[in-house]
Amino acid sequence: MDSLEQYGLLLGILIGTIGFVLSLFALASAIGKTRKESAKDVPATAGQLTRDPAWVRYHARYYGYALLFLSFDMEMAYMYPWAVVYKQVGVVALLDMGVFLAILFLGLLYGWSQGALRRQ
Amino acid sequence: MISGARLGKLSGLRRLVATAISRDLTTFVIPGPDIARAHGLDLAAAGLQIVASPRHASVLLVVGDIPLALHDAATVIYAQMVRPRALFILGTEIFSSLPDADIMSRLSQDGLIDGVQQLRTAFAEGAFRLDVADFDAPALQIRIEYTCSMHPEIALNEPGSCPKCGMTLIIRETQASTGRAHTKQKNVDVSVDEQMATGNEHNAHHHMSDAAKVEFTCPMHPEVVQDAPGSCPRCGMNLEPRETKTEHTHDHSQMNHDAAVQYTCPMHPEVVQDGPGSCPRCGMNLEPREITESETNEHSGMDHDSTDHSDMDHGDMAFMSMIDVTKNLPRSTDGLPMEWTEAPFGPFFPGLPGGLMLTLTLDGDTVADSKTQPLFENKELLPQVSPDIVNFIQQITRFGPLSPVAFQLLACQALENAAGLEISANVASARIGALEQERIANHLGWLALFAQQTGFNWLQRRAASLQLKFCLADMQQIATLAADIQSLIKRLGKTPLLKSRTVGIGKLASDSNLRGPVARASGVANDVRSTDKNYIALGFEAVSQTQGDAYARLQVRLAEIIHSLKLIQVSGAIERPTPADTGEISATGEASVETPRGMAHLELTLQKGQVIAARLETPSTYHLDLIKPLTEQQALADALVAIGSLDLSPWEVQSREIQT
Amino acid sequence: MTTTIILLLLVFGVYLVAVLEAWISSGRFRLTTPILSGIALLGRESIVPRKPDRIFFEVAPVLLLLSAVLAATVIPLMPGLIITDLATGALFINAALVYVLVAMLMAGWGPDGAYAMVGGWRFLGQLIAYAMLIVMPITAVVMRAESLLTTQIVVSQDGLWNIFYQPLGFVLFFIAAMALAFLPPFDLPTATGELAGGVEAEYSGVRLAVFRLGRLTLIITLASATVVFYLGGWQGPWLPPWAWSGIKILAVTVTMLLAGRLMPRISETDLLAWCWKLGIPLALLNIFLVGILVLVIP
Repeated sequence: MDSLEQYGLLLGILIGTIGFVLSLFALASAIGKTRKESAKDVPATAGQLTRDPAWVRYHARYYGYALLFLSFDMEMAYMYPWAVVYKQVGVVALLDMGVFLAILFLGLLYGWSQGALRRQ
Repeated sequence: MISGARLGKLSGLRRLVATAISRDLTTFVIPGPDIARAHGLDLAAAGLQIVASPRHASVLLVVGDIPLALHDAATVIYAQMVRPRALFILGTEIFSSLPDADIMSRLSQDGLIDGVQQLRTAFAEGAFRLDVADFDAPALQIRIEYTCSMHPEIALNEPGSCPKCGMTLIIRETQASTGRAHTKQKNVDVSVDEQMATGNEHNAHHHMSDAAKVEFTCPMHPEVVQDAPGSCPRCGMNLEPRETKTEHTHDHSQMNHDAAVQYTCPMHPEVVQDGPGSCPRCGMNLEPREITESETNEHSGMDHDSTDHSDMDHGDMAFMSMIDVTKNLPRSTDGLPMEWTEAPFGPFFPGLPGGLMLTLTLDGDTVADSKTQPLFENKELLPQVSPDIVNFIQQITRFGPLSPVAFQLLACQALENAAGLEISANVASARIGALEQERIANHLGWLALFAQQTGFNWLQRRAASLQLKFCLADMQQIATLAADIQSLIKRLGKTPLLKSRTVGIGKLASDSNLRGPVARASGVANDVRSTDKNYIALGFEAVSQTQGDAYARLQVRLAEIIHSLKLIQVSGAIERPTPADTGEISATGEASVETPRGMAHLELTLQKGQVIAARLETPSTYHLDLIKPLTEQQALADALVAIGSLDLSPWEVQSREIQT
Repeated sequence: MTTTIILLLLVFGVYLVAVLEAWISSGRFRLTTPILSGIALLGRESIVPRKPDRIFFEVAPVLLLLSAVLAATVIPLMPGLIITDLATGALFINAALVYVLVAMLMAGWGPDGAYAMVGGWRFLGQLIAYAMLIVMPITAVVMRAESLLTTQIVVSQDGLWNIFYQPLGFVLFFIAAMALAFLPPFDLPTATGELAGGVEAEYSGVRLAVFRLGRLTLIITLASATVVFYLGGWQGPWLPPWAWSGIKILAVTVTMLLAGRLMPRISETDLLAWCWKLGIPLALLNIFLVGILVLVIP
């Protein structure tokens, strides 16, 4: 089948899965409804009721890694089509991409030396 | 019939569901699976599956004595469970704030199996009922009040306007029983201009109302300080109250606790940090500067809760840059201002010893601060003693649910010391056999808890099953189990990642106040057994390591297991200590015993054969205080490993006011 | 028709993974455990925490299931037995699996609870690291196959499976697949001992059932992807192709589930450091080596 049909099928599977999940939800609510009681809906934290909200400026300590991820992700986007035609094109392809990868790798090494690759 | 059933008629699909639930009994254990194992209960063999969160559990299993301080927590856990839920009590615990136990049974493996049978029938027939009542308790109550974000001391019962500044009052939830106040966020639309960081109430504000000296300052212009309320001469906003620097309680502010000096950039005075470094704007080295009162605004509601505050009408306010917005937020070690949250990690946290009341202040996933609370309010562990000897021994044993034999031995030895009785060498070495057997069982239990904490499934199952078999083993069985234990220890030595999870974590310097394996791992050779003649006769050697980190403690405990096995073999007999007949004497006596956690010391006074006074000192009291320095600025996982490596028993901790 | 067969096989695979996981973690082999616990979960109440981010909270488990199912649609079990043989199959797997990240982050943020928050954010760091480690070996595999079609990738392994041709890539892909499915020792978001269930803790009842279903589907999808990319898919002597597929997927699943039992959870610092300092350079080296091999071997 051509790609439009394929994506149509995928859309169908997506809707089908969502439908399956909704039917499970319907089944569960047919069995019974959730009873609202005091303190039942407070997030469970080991026995002490905590009402402080958890949505704060979270200090993710891996932001050095996350910045580096951006560059490598862009690189991977370019590598997919390159990999498909690689064998056809030959050594030139290896050299071209090799230069690109080497530059990015140098970036990785630089980040490492500057202390980006650690728990901040 | 179970009281926590769901509403509905038990027919058709619901009957199928009830049967499925009765075969899939997910359990939350109070106070913890480690206590259950110490009582010799094999929960998996009985058909119960232990889960980590009350939301996944249908059965609340209560094992043994629960002190009054934990009753509220048990109520909260029960309230947070999903229906259908059942309360299964082993022993004779009576809760005033929980419903009647659905199933009660004896505290033994047989009792457990019987109880599980009854539980299955109860669920299969009672998971759905036609009449269901809500569960409520005082510990779960909240009280809604209305407060002004700028003037948190105002608390009215109806919405309206603040009498001081005229702003609309916002809702605040207060836990009715304890009076802790928290702010409920009203709307989530935050714009940078409205970030005031003053509307939040938490414990610190209570200190504010208790403080004698209060000043008024403008949140936008901290250099404006007055003694009376009024409005800021710069922007016209109402001044808000703030404690003076001397009465600050830094419960959740900066990690650098010697906050007398701060570092600032000469070019950019708004850059203020607690530690030296370089200015993020221009790169110059920061210079130290004394804090003046106008600059320490860390009090005004800093914090961790919330990015949003009331919808205030601030048409006249100037634009607030990110510097102003984040000026009062606590700074982390890398200089970024982030908000901190307080999360409870106790008392019933899987992976930590059951009963440990711990609250951690998290900065992302780093621990910025920690708070622990002892279980017993009294300054002395034994404010009153039971005069009868047998009851007294039982009272002492209750302090060590994880190591009852050691405490029993302690009481017996103290009584014998008071009466001046000599114990024969045979009896002494049989007692040593029992104590060492318990030590091995304890260390295996600690290994199982450590494995649960670090997600090491094989070790958890193996150590737990060995512990359960070891508790009840006689001499022959011990000989066979010894080989299993040896192979476990050998395999542990070859486990990848174990070293990286424990080396360098929880490092403690040598300190003479440390006890037990924690002390021996730091090179402090504190061991009661090295001066005991009976032990020396059996060929006792103390173990020690020097690094003082979690790995060293693990090694010390493993080595102790091996040595204890040898001691049991040499002693040749196991017999639990029983009190000798002391007669009608009046004397004082004392004894020290090396419990699996360290030295415990008991002094008692007898009068005419009855105990009239006693004083008990236990190892975990000092170790509880070590949690704070050990977890400072550690990643959460490392902090939990460090706390676990201390092998605390919260049941034997006395309040910290009296230290000996 | 093929769609129905594959979806049924997927359900069977999920059931198998559930039985295996229960066996490995509790030592008891019971065929009825997953069914009973599934029905029991449906019958329990499903609580919504107070003040949640309702959309995130509801969508997260469904999205986890969706991303795993969509990734499974490009896995060939036999020549011709594939739901959609997309021309960009290998890329599509990665694209679908990225939504695992979104789902887990939503699950961490949604309930407004402290443990879930920590679990969700930790997983973000884990996944952006190991997503790179999944994509780079796939690139090397595609270089050999000269096509992104998953069926073509299997066909290109005729004679010499990729596990022997690119062993470095296999090791990296396997580890990254375990990290993506947050299996122990990489189970940072749902750590039982450290976060009391973490991301999973606030889900109960039917939502927890969907979440767990999604996770199991993710495991079987990743195992199938490993087989397709590195173990030659349906290729093998004597037995019919579908039997080989089944055996290989089973073997990979069992290995993934067993590996984590034997060591403690890796710490976050080590997890990220090893990926970026060791894993990525090795993956780049792998691409380079495969590049040379592809040109040298006709």
